Parts: sequence; structure tokens; C-alpha cells
Amino acid sequence: MNRFVSMRIAGFAALALGFAVLPFAGLSDYWIYTVTIGFYYALLAASWSLLVGYVGRISFAQAAMSGLGGYASALGVIHLGLPVGLGLLAGVAIAGLVGFALGWLTLRLHGAYLGLTTIAFGEILRITVTAEHGITEGSLGLRVPALISGGSRFDYYYLFLVVTAACLVIMGLLLRSRVGLFFQSIREDEDGSASLGVNVTLWKCVAFAVSSAFAGLAGGLYAHFVQLITPSMMSLQEMGIVLAMAVIGGFHNILYAALGGMLLQVLLEMLREVEQWRLVVFGLVTILMLRFAPNGIFGTLIDAVASRRKRHD
Amino acid sequence: MTDQLTVRGLRKRFGGVVALNDIDLAVEAGELVGLIGPNGSGKTTLLNIVSGYYDADAGTIAYDGTPIAGLSPHRLARIGIGRSFQVTKVFRRLTVLENMLVSGLSDWNETRSVATERAMAVLDDLKLTRLAHEPAGNLSGGQAKLLEFARIMMLQPKLVLLDEPFGGVHPELKRFMYERIREWNANGVTIILISHDMGSIFGLCRRVVTLSYGDIICDGTPDETRADPAVLEAYLGDRHDAA
Amino acid sequence: MSLLAISEQAINGLIISSFYALTALGLAVIFGVLRIVNFAHGELYMLGGYAYYLAISALGLPPLFALLVAAVALFAVGAAIEWLLIRPIHTGRIDRPEEYAIMITFALSIFLLNLANSVFGPWPQRPEPLMRGRVEIGELIISGDRLAAAGAAIILMTGVILALRYTWAGKAVRAVSQDRTAAEIYGISVQRAGLIAFGVGAALAGLAGALIGPVFNVTPPMGVVPVIKAYIIVVLGGLGSVPGAIIGAVILGQVESFATILIPDPSRALAYKDAYGLLVLVAVLLLRPQGLFGRAERRA
Repeated sequence: MNRFVSMRIAGFAALALGFAVLPFAGLSDYWIYTVTIGFYYALLAASWSLLVGYVGRISFAQAAMSGLGGYASALGVIHLGLPVGLGLLAGVAIAGLVGFALGWLTLRLHGAYLGLTTIAFGEILRITVTAEHGITEGSLGLRVPALISGGSRFDYYYLFLVVTAACLVIMGLLLRSRVGLFFQSIREDEDGSASLGVNVTLWKCVAFAVSSAFAGLAGGLYAHFVQLITPSMMSLQEMGIVLAMAVIGGFHNILYAALGGMLLQVLLEMLREVEQWRLVVFGLVTILMLRFAPNGIFGTLIDAVASRRKRHD
Repeated sequence: MTDQLTVRGLRKRFGGVVALNDIDLAVEAGELVGLIGPNGSGKTTLLNIVSGYYDADAGTIAYDGTPIAGLSPHRLARIGIGRSFQVTKVFRRLTVLENMLVSGLSDWNETRSVATERAMAVLDDLKLTRLAHEPAGNLSGGQAKLLEFARIMMLQPKLVLLDEPFGGVHPELKRFMYERIREWNANGVTIILISHDMGSIFGLCRRVVTLSYGDIICDGTPDETRADPAVLEAYLGDRHDAA
Repeated sequence: MSLLAISEQAINGLIISSFYALTALGLAVIFGVLRIVNFAHGELYMLGGYAYYLAISALGLPPLFALLVAAVALFAVGAAIEWLLIRPIHTGRIDRPEEYAIMITFALSIFLLNLANSVFGPWPQRPEPLMRGRVEIGELIISGDRLAAAGAAIILMTGVILALRYTWAGKAVRAVSQDRTAAEIYGISVQRAGLIAFGVGAALAGLAGALIGPVFNVTPPMGVVPVIKAYIIVVLGGLGSVPGAIIGAVILGQVESFATILIPDPSRALAYKDAYGLLVLVAVLLLRPQGLFGRAERRA
């Protein structure tokens, strides 16, 4: 078991290192920008997989939470004069609180009823942001102050890399702790879990809060990087993309989901010419994954490697 | 000896059906009580109410003197009430050891290493050690029932409610469980045992409570229960032959 | 408000309701038999709109025949979806059926919407309606295309309800939705019931799209908003309940029509229009998840 864990840490470190040196491998500004957005999706997909893959609570409100964090941060900076760092924190806090509330509201809901409620919730958030165009500029889009004034693409790249890696580490530590066990026991059997002393109500709410907080952070970073946000980042179409990313990567593991986010973002850019067909293919691949390889690309690959190693031992 | 569990005037209906009709029951610490009755008599309902999964329509429940009605299952587990389920609720995609750790670590005062040690000791006792790293979903039905026992033991409970632990278990494993239950009780754990396996019930329990259509129709020793005409009628209808 | 204005609002509400109801009916049938919420329902609605449009523009068929084409085409699509993607749930080939059931139709919706975007392009199409012109009832003026579409919707729904009641296939479908195991024991092919249910559900959605296409345009994202209305209706009425879906549709139509008027600030009131129904949805799911007429089930 210990060998397995250290292999994972080594793998993660290798990935982080790889991304760290990538810009020096002759990546153009355009691709540096793309991979930076990839970090956004990686974080978002990972935060979704925490909730859906580990706790087993299906939510379609993730994109809305991301937007919530983004708008909260942007509006905090613009209207309340907060420094960007504090704005981001506000975004995280607000998304976390709203997430906790959503978790609490949906305590007794499961399956499709839960899914529907999260759709409704996310849509209400998006509609509110759009309707209050006096403050948010609605569909026209809100101009957002930069995170790093005068920052280059390099600067943002490394900031995003560090934050994403740190968040994955934090999520990983949480999931490896007893809380992670509680989360998974809730996914497996709520009644059984409660019978063993797990405060299912509390942990369901916390799970929603944590997942939403990370989504809010991602949204805030995105907002202050791209310097323009619109309510479309909170749409169900965006949610579909996040779902596709996590499923294709492997949504039962935050790292695989994150890699799925990065992979699909890069592919989306690489396949720019084919426009709409990219999403058609992603949709199809998502369906096939769900049907035939529910552990995602990375999940299935790693499982295959692991079982081959077992046979050799 | 003090009453550990006191149930008074417990009532529960589901729609038009009365599941429990003014139940009074007192169990002393250290007892091993069998709870029997034909299907639909209210045994599992009683268990579910005492362990916090259902709310009673009326009545009180006291545990060591403190009222516990309406407390959530996890609170009850924390104060020492454990239970098993008729259809096992093991965490299929977690390993056997992880199943145990959920139980052990729900007490925040316990560290992972201590919990792991305790867990392995319990698994040893139940002869499940070699399955420690096996996903619980791969266990056989009987092994899963043992795992449920093991998880409950990790809680170090004072009162344990077992719902049909022998259901679908093959005879040798049943013997093993039987001995474990007896040992558990000998170590001071109060046990209420629901089962249709009369042999085990009459062998293990010095006191048997019989439910029928939501009423307690007999509360006595196994011999008294066997001879009670109301019990025979409940199980067989009134076409029986008195022994 | 004048009586005329109220009547106009009410009638518009009823007309919109009839479209919602048709869409919701399809959703209700699918949920009743297969116990899944079809998150791709909006895209089936959209495909129906395109089928109708193509039948008229490419095949040159008159509107009524084009409707038939849309229905048949979408029935086939629905049946294919059930057979390929949904049936494995009930034949034990899916590891984690609960998650799968929710995500597979959501993924399907992404696929279908973008497929339509790629194949047809994002430009709106406006095919020929069933009936043109205006209808005047006293001082009330209602556009003919809407009225005809609503009328057709009502006829279709009545047809489906009658079929469910009186035809053998309809009874089989109802049996399966009430108790799958019992139905199986009685010799009903639950597989076929599932296939029919999804096919019919898809066809109803497609017909709704085909009827609305001439009124509000056919575009790839045309189903995104209506399907949410359908969810609201079906939850409000009770998942799986057919009369519930009808009543839910009427309630929603009226809520939307009048809520817009009741809020003082006109531009914001309109912007929030879609949110009223969503609030109803959340309220129902939290307070009375089985809706008005559904059975109290622990999970969906």
C-alpha cells in the first residue's frame, strides 16, 4: 500500500514539474494562455469530482458556483474597492456558503430529484446575475480588473499552476483523511454510515461547501485573468463541458478529473478549425465512456497498468 | 441491575397500518433478548425507531435513563447504540479495513494508527484478517454479515440491535456468529436480537419477546414462549395442534 | 386590468401551457416506465422541430404530413436511445446504475445539441405552420398559428391519454410503471414497454418542437428553456403522473403569465420570468417531492 501511495505522489510531482517547465519548451504565448485556461478547467473538474465521485452527490450547479465566485470577486473589487486577493477570498467564501446552503436544502434528495434541484438552483443564480444587469452588466459582460496588474502570460501561467496544484493537494489530503472516508461511506450507504457514527447531514453540507468553494476560487481566478465575465460561464452548456471533462478524465479521482479538464481544453483549442464538431465528438466520447469505461481515460489506463503489475508480482 | 433501555407507549403507523401499538419494553444492561414475531409484526420498525431511523408517533425511549427519542442515528451510535441491518449495508467499494475505519474514526479522539490496530484485532477475532484489503463488495453474503458485526464492534457499543444476522448464512458460519454473539454478551454488551431462526434464539436468549401485529403478546423465557398459545397462534394461525 | 387584458393573458397562458404539457407528457411517460429523468428531452424536442422543418423544406410535404414524419422519426430516435443506452441499466450491465442514469442523458443532450449546431448551423429556421392568419373571438385576437398548434397539442395529448387507457400497449405501459416486477410476472415484456415508452416520450417531445417551430423558430438551443419548464411541470404534477402533468402545465402557464404582471419593475420582472417556475420547482422538491399526484417515493 505504501508503495502505491508514494507512486501516486511521485506521479503528481512529475506532472507538476512537467507543467512547470512546459513554457520553457518553446510554448507560444497562445498555448501558454490555453494551458492557463486549462488549469481553470482542471480545478473546476476536480472540484466537481470531489462531490460527485467521492460523496456520490450529483450536482449540475458547478458552473454556476464558478460564476458566482467570479462575479462575487469582480463586484467586490469594482464596487467595494477590495484588493483582488481579498476579492478572490470573498468569492470563495460566498460560493462556499451558497454551496453549504444548497447541500442543506438537498439533504433528503437523491438521484434525479437532486440533479433537478441543482439545475434549478444553478439556473436561478444565472438568471439573477443576468437580470441584475445594473450591477453585473448582464449578458453584455462585466469588465474585471486584472489579478496581476501588468502581468505577463508567464506570470498568470505560474500562478494558476501553483494554485491548481495546491488546491489538488488540499483536496487530496482531505480525501485521504477520515473525512474522505466519511464522504465515501456516504456515497456507498448513507444509513450504514450513520449507524457507525458519521454525521451524514453535516458532511453532505460540508462536501457541497468545499466543492463549491473550490469552484468559486476557479471562477474568481478566471475572471481576473480573462478580465471579462459573462453569465454564460454559469450556463448548463458550460456545466456539460465540465461534466464531459471530468467523465472523460475519470470522475472518481480528482487528479484524473483535473487531467481530463486540461486535456479537453487543449484539444478544444487544437481542434479549433472543426468548431462545433469538437463538442459533438466530446459528447459522443462522454457517452461512450459512461457506458463502457466509467473510470475515464486515466482511470482505465492506470487500472490496466496496475493489474498488469499485479500479475507480474 | 438498572434498565438500560426503556420503551414506553411507543406507537407507529404507516398510512393505515398500525406497526406498533403502545409498546412497553424494558431491557436491563447485559441482557440478551430475542425479538421474534411473524412478518409484519413490527420488529424491524421497533429497531428502526430505537436506532433513530424512524420517528415514533407517540411514546418515549430512554437509554440509561436519558431520553433519546428523535436523536439521529449517528448520535445514538456515538453514545453506544449499534445496529446491524437485515440487508447488509457494507461499503462495497471500500476495503474491509476501510469499512472498519469509518466506524473507528467517527470518534475524533481516536487516531488512525490506533483505529487500524483495533480494527485488525477485531478482524482477527472474526477471522476476516486475510480479507482486510479486499473491497467489501467482493465478500460473500455471510462474510458481509460478519463485517457488519465487526464494524459495530469497532464502536465499542453498550447496546447492540441485530436485525436477522443469520439470514441466508450457511450453518458453519452461523455457528461462528452464534458464538461471537454469546461472547459479546458475556463481555457485558446488551443485545437485542431479531431472528426467524428459532433454534438460535432459544439457544442464545434467556428472554424472548414476541410481537404480533404491533403488540407484545409474550415476554418470557424460551420455554414459556414455546408453550404460549398466543405465540403459536400468531405464527401458525389457529389451525395448530397444541404440543 | 381590464377583463380583455386578463382574458388575453389567460388564453396566452393556456396556449403556452398546452405546449409545455405536450413536452411534459413525454417526460412523464418516460419516467413512469423507466424511472429515469430524460435530461436530453429538450434536444429531442429540438430534433422534432428540425424533422418537421426538413419534411417541409426538403421533402416538400404539407404541414400535417410533416408532423407525422417528425413523430415517426423521433419515435425511432427514442427507441434507439432506449435500446442502446438505457436498456443496459435494467439488464445489469452497468456498474453504477444510479449515477449512470442521470449522467448519460445529460451527456446525450450535449451531444445532440452540438450535433444539431454542426449539421444545421445556428441560424433560426421558420417552417410553415399548420394554420396561418388570425382568429377573432369577440374583441379577443389570437394568432392562428398558435391556436392551431395548441389545438393540435391538445388533440395529441388526448390521444395519448386515451391510448394509455384503452389500448393494450397503453395498459402494458401503465402496468410497468406501477409495478415493474408484477408486470413482468404477468408476462408483459418490460423491455418492450421501455422501448415504447421512450419512443412515445421522444415522439411527444418532437411533436411539441414541431408545433412550436413555426411559432417561435427552430434553432439548436430551442429545447434548453422548454425542457426546464417540462421538469417543473412533471415534478409539480408528480413524476410519472399523466393528469398531474396536465394540471402542472396549466398552473405553470398561469404562474408565468401573471407573475410577470405582478412585479412592479417591468424589465426586471421579464428578466426573472424563467426563475418563477424554477422557484416553484425547488419549493415542490423540498416540500412535497411527490408533487400533486405522484406517489411518495424515496428516491428518483
